[in-house]
Amino acid sequence: MLLLKLAFRNILRNRRRSLLTLLSMSGGYFLLATMISMSEGSYSHMINLFTQDHTGHVQIHYSDYLTRPSLNKTINNVDELVNNISGYPHVKSVTSRVYAPSLAYGKNKTFPAQVIGIDPKREAATTLLELKVKQGQWLSNGMSESGYFPALIGVSLATNLNLGLGDELILISQGIDGSIANDIFIITGIVGTADSYERNNVYLSLGAIKQFLAMHDQAHEVVIALDHQSRAMPFADALKLPQNLNAAPWQKIEESFYKSMQVDKKGNYISLGVIMFLVSIGVLNTVLMGTMERTREFGVLKAIGTRPKMVFMLIIMESFILALASCIVGMLLAFAPIYYLTYIGLVMPEPIDMGGVEFQIMLGEFSAFVLLVPAITVIGSTLLVSLFPALKAAKTVPVSAMQAA
Amino acid sequence: MTSVIKTINLSRHFGQGDTLVKALDEVNITIKKGEFTAIIGPSGSGKTTLLQLIGGLDETSAGNVILDDKNISDMSGQELSDFRRDHIGFVFQAYNLIPVLSAKENIEYIMLLQGVSADERHRRVEHIMAQVGLTGLASRRPTQLSGGQQQRVAIARAMVSNPSIILADEPTANLDSRTGMALIDMMKKLNEQEQMTFVFSTHDPKIMESARRIITLEDGRVVDDFVK
Repeated sequence: MLLLKLAFRNILRNRRRSLLTLLSMSGGYFLLATMISMSEGSYSHMINLFTQDHTGHVQIHYSDYLTRPSLNKTINNVDELVNNISGYPHVKSVTSRVYAPSLAYGKNKTFPAQVIGIDPKREAATTLLELKVKQGQWLSNGMSESGYFPALIGVSLATNLNLGLGDELILISQGIDGSIANDIFIITGIVGTADSYERNNVYLSLGAIKQFLAMHDQAHEVVIALDHQSRAMPFADALKLPQNLNAAPWQKIEESFYKSMQVDKKGNYISLGVIMFLVSIGVLNTVLMGTMERTREFGVLKAIGTRPKMVFMLIIMESFILALASCIVGMLLAFAPIYYLTYIGLVMPEPIDMGGVEFQIMLGEFSAFVLLVPAITVIGSTLLVSLFPALKAAKTVPVSAMQAA
Repeated sequence: MTSVIKTINLSRHFGQGDTLVKALDEVNITIKKGEFTAIIGPSGSGKTTLLQLIGGLDETSAGNVILDDKNISDMSGQELSDFRRDHIGFVFQAYNLIPVLSAKENIEYIMLLQGVSADERHRRVEHIMAQVGLTGLASRRPTQLSGGQQQRVAIARAMVSNPSIILADEPTANLDSRTGMALIDMMKKLNEQEQMTFVFSTHDPKIMESARRIITLEDGRVVDDFVK
């Protein structure tokens, strides 16, 4: 109590200087909190767009399918697996996919295409593919009136093959049994943009592609969407699967995207570190000045029986109180901008393309992390820069200190 | 009577070689419990240095200081702080009160360090403030007090925890002669009432007359030790 009383009164003693220090630290907190909010919010938004585009949060494949894909490396009894995983905690949706490299033929042109078999209902619940249909309609499971299965086709492939809605698309591939697979499909929708992931893809329903490739209850990929992207790694690690199957989080599937994002994040943290360093220098200056001009008093305190440890604690406590008050002020100042960034966001005049995923709004994040990290940084750096003046005051010989003034 | 202060070949030197200054040179004195002693001498004779070394505020160059049968020259920083807190009361020329504390809080500061209960602190503060004539000034900060009142607070602070020794370095130097004399009379009265050992330095002849023992220093050496 004695220390607290002394610390408070010492802070209030030079009100103008304490106020300036408080404002400087509050400014530091404000900058850190808003920048972390922007950074975390933008990355989180970007990851959500990226994972919702086609990757999902976790994928399951045959053991080495990701590095050496092959038509025969399938997940068997896939319906049972999908149904099982659907019931797991934190799972939002699950879908399976079949991949087959093919040759697409339309009118008088051929072009290589990636044919992807999807479950229209589950895929729509897992990714944003349905929203990317630019012309026509979303895929259906059944056959069209003409007796052909419907197909969604990427916009680039449609342009290259000079095909449009209602046209016939001929696909030639290899069946899983080694036979030649070929069939006619009716284009019911054109999907994506010239830069998007699906530009050269053809989407068929699972029923259509299984018939086309002579497959049974098999798939090449199971995609899982969770309630939050941060659960991807622990979920993939905890997933119990047959020995020939592997679960990988989106960070592993899209490793280059993840790594470039991590590097970008580190760059941001370096900028934040520079801000905090500058704030710390200001705090060091204030604490050092406040300590040096009270050298005589510290000498007196020691002379009349105050332990060196208590003198040390007094200076640390003064800094701590000032830092804590700064964080509270900074938090109040940062609340409105962070709230605005999180729930309204900054709309950019032109959308930014990140790995084929377009986003036009910069969103912030409002979380304990965003508020606590700047507080820990401000308080931590303040205490750190206070150590030297506090040690100096604690170690001073009373008579030298009293002669200093 | 038992000795409460004993210095053995106590020396304090500054600088070295040609610039060596012997502020105190092999001083041997013994002060008994309850004595009211003045250390006198011209400026630079070593009065303040002697009081600082006796109080453990400075490090000795050679020799020992024995207070209450304990050699304080061997003590660590924390031991010395605790010893000063429990055994020595200081009165400084420049008062040296804690500016952010009121008169009452300044007086009870040492008792807070000692962990004395709130009731006991209150009782002792009331008593000592009445003794030194500070009744009614408890809530005033040092800047709201006159020099004489500040020095009374300093004396009250030094005495309130019942230390065995009170060291006062020119306590009247910043006061007018009337206030100075009144303060010395008060110290003398407290010395008689409480049987505390008072050692103070001065170069004021009128103040010297109040002392029962006068130790004279010159060039860091004791040149006279006179008991009335």
